[in-house]
Amino acid sequence: MRWFDSGTMPLLTLSVFFILLSPADGHIHPSIHPSIHPSIHPSSSPPGRPRVISCRSPEKETFTCWWEPGDNGSLPTTYALYYRLEGSEAVYECPDYKTAGENSCFFSKNDTSLWVNYNISVVATNALGRSVSEPVEVDVVYIVQPNTPESVMVSVLEDDHGPYLRVSWDKPRSADTRSGWITLVYQLRVKQVKEENWEEYDAGMQKYYNVFSLHSGKEYMVQVRCKPDHGFWSEWTTPAYIQMPDFRPRERSIWIMMTVFAAFILLIFAWTMNVKRSSVKHFLLPPVPGPKIRGFDQQLLKSGKSEEMFNALVIQGFPPTTNYEDLLVEYLEVYDDEKQELVLNGKNLPKGSLKSKSTSSDNDSGRGSCDSRTLLMEKCAEGAEESGTEQELSQFGESSWASSDSGEGRDNPASPGQEDGKVQTWPPVFSSPQPHHFQQQQPGGTRASYHSVPEISCRSPPVHSSCGQQNHFSKPDFYQYTQMHSMDSIEHKHVAQVPQSQSAEYVEVQTVNPENVLLLRPLSNPESHDPELSDFAGEDYSKVRDVTSDNVLLLQRDLSGPQYVGDYCQDQSGQVDPCFMQLQQEEQTCKPNVHLHLPSPMLQDGMRLAGNGYVDSTMMMS
Amino acid sequence: MAKGLVLLSVVVASVFISQGSTSENQRLFNNAVIRVQHLHQLAAKMITDFEESLLPEERRQLSKIFPLSFCNSDSIEAPTGKDETQKSSVLKLLHISYRLIESWEYPSRILGNPNQITEKLADLKVGISVLIKGCLDGQPNMDDNESLPLPFEDFYQTLGDGNLRKSFRLLACFKKDMHKVETYLRVANCRRSLDSNCTL
Repeated sequence: MRWFDSGTMPLLTLSVFFILLSPADGHIHPSIHPSIHPSIHPSSSPPGRPRVISCRSPEKETFTCWWEPGDNGSLPTTYALYYRLEGSEAVYECPDYKTAGENSCFFSKNDTSLWVNYNISVVATNALGRSVSEPVEVDVVYIVQPNTPESVMVSVLEDDHGPYLRVSWDKPRSADTRSGWITLVYQLRVKQVKEENWEEYDAGMQKYYNVFSLHSGKEYMVQVRCKPDHGFWSEWTTPAYIQMPDFRPRERSIWIMMTVFAAFILLIFAWTMNVKRSSVKHFLLPPVPGPKIRGFDQQLLKSGKSEEMFNALVIQGFPPTTNYEDLLVEYLEVYDDEKQELVLNGKNLPKGSLKSKSTSSDNDSGRGSCDSRTLLMEKCAEGAEESGTEQELSQFGESSWASSDSGEGRDNPASPGQEDGKVQTWPPVFSSPQPHHFQQQQPGGTRASYHSVPEISCRSPPVHSSCGQQNHFSKPDFYQYTQMHSMDSIEHKHVAQVPQSQSAEYVEVQTVNPENVLLLRPLSNPESHDPELSDFAGEDYSKVRDVTSDNVLLLQRDLSGPQYVGDYCQDQSGQVDPCFMQLQQEEQTCKPNVHLHLPSPMLQDGMRLAGNGYVDSTMMMS
Repeated sequence: MAKGLVLLSVVVASVFISQGSTSENQRLFNNAVIRVQHLHQLAAKMITDFEESLLPEERRQLSKIFPLSFCNSDSIEAPTGKDETQKSSVLKLLHISYRLIESWEYPSRILGNPNQITEKLADLKVGISVLIKGCLDGQPNMDDNESLPLPFEDFYQTLGDGNLRKSFRLLACFKKDMHKVETYLRVANCRRSLDSNCTL
């Protein structure tokens, strides 16, 4: 039936064409012979390749294949499906073209074998040729797509939480699940009619499902589909519509209850806070403590008596107020240089501490090293320079020093230094019970000068007269002043010879002549001194009271107390005025630029700071 | 009277016992079905991964070759349709399943160890044998299927295939055989019992 008109139309057309053309030239062109070129129509062509669309089995017992025809080339085309089973070369044609509709092939149970690969191809044939589709491998077991579930029913049920949907369905009729041949799983989807998004639920192998949490008063539609354990999903069923009833969700009542409860709690809370207003305020905003100053009496301030209040703030004794003037001590730095110049440095030190010229100081109160008893020897020894006084020193020094050493038994580093001609300022001084401490008998023997004890010895014998036992120096022929400087720059100075008396004797400076020479005179009444003074052979010290404009030291005699303060008196001219001061009180008459230094042996225990003198306590310690 | 009573009690007891054993058997059956289902899913995943890893040219080359899934188990007589399967007895189905599983024990080593397929196959084989024994219920084994020679073990190795084709063939055959066993066991399970999801 399909073939009848395949060749007649082109023949007719061709014949008509030839008839029309033949009278013209009288012969037929050979290229247009119908046998060679059967298609007369200019657009006729062999059929295009058909394509197998899909093969499906609804119940794993039969299956159907569909194909899509290609271009038919404007000619009637016939299609045939051929298949081959694996393992066999036999080719079979489709047994049933009808059952499944147009362009399909239905394989019945007898023609279906499971777990066998089918090789299926479709052939399109028309008058001009044939074309074969691509072959398709099919295993029936894996192309199962069941029919849609049946008898979908939806109903509204009620429970404690509100209405819900119950959906039930049936399996597709063709699927044999009862014998276990096919195992189906189901799926359903729900949405509001007016919405767009579906809500999908998996129902497993059961045939019902409950849908909750739907909105009240809305219309919903439900669909179901199924799938075998290995296969394709079926189509969705036709939608089932359901109307949800109006109901009030129970949750709202709970919300109302909660709101009321919360309001109640809030009310109680507010009332409590109100009652305990003050303590809450105290808790939240703790009072800021005001500033408190000890001794600050607000009442006084309020009463307006500000002076009393401020007086109350004053602490007695703070800051420590002392008579600053008393603290200002000057000290004399005596240099014993060859030029016999006295170098006097005046410095104001609050505590009357000595400051050596070389600025070297030890750990004590800052005095020059020569002040320190322990250091005195070395430092004095180092700095001392003796020029021309060695002889004199040695003469006298050895005797006295040695005696002092021996007598003292102390560590007198000065003595070795003495021999070196260094200035030993302290040792003889320290050796307190040296009666002949200041003995300067040797004519021309100069003693080493100490910082503290300026030994003045007459340099030249002829000067003895002045340094003699007369308590005065008649003429300061040549006085040398020992340096009482600290260690580094101790210069040995020729000191004016002290009066040659067996016992050490102190001299007092009478005046300073323009040539920067101290005129000394021995002190009187050494016996009147205190026993402590007698250590110094009864000499007493005088206090420099003032220095006149022409560099004259005015001494003040102060014989009252046992306390001795050694000071250095130095005036600006550099003259050294070693004087021992005996200070009784804090009052001082020394000018600020005069500083006297007291050797330690002259000091008693517990020496204290004099008003204008500096007491080196370390010496006592040693 | 007393004899009748004793007989009745024995019958009742045997019914109970059989029910107990039946339930136990049922449990074993369900277990076997689940196991083979898992193996089948595993095989499907493996072949899908393999196909995805192919290059397009290789994929085309594979589809053109025919026959592609010429399997070792083709030598084992097995029902290929539902009617055939329905007609086979449970015991026969169990035997066929057993042989199919057994035929894959050796070639499964090629499939690789990550999924422990060989062990799972061994376990399943043991389970099926237990079911067979339970099915026999003490009856002597009439079936001489077990005396049949095993399929050629090195079947897949000795084919003149390229590596690609060999791998694909192996995977395809494995998947097919697992699905066979799953189907047979399900049918057998449903036939033996009233529950186990068969009537759903």
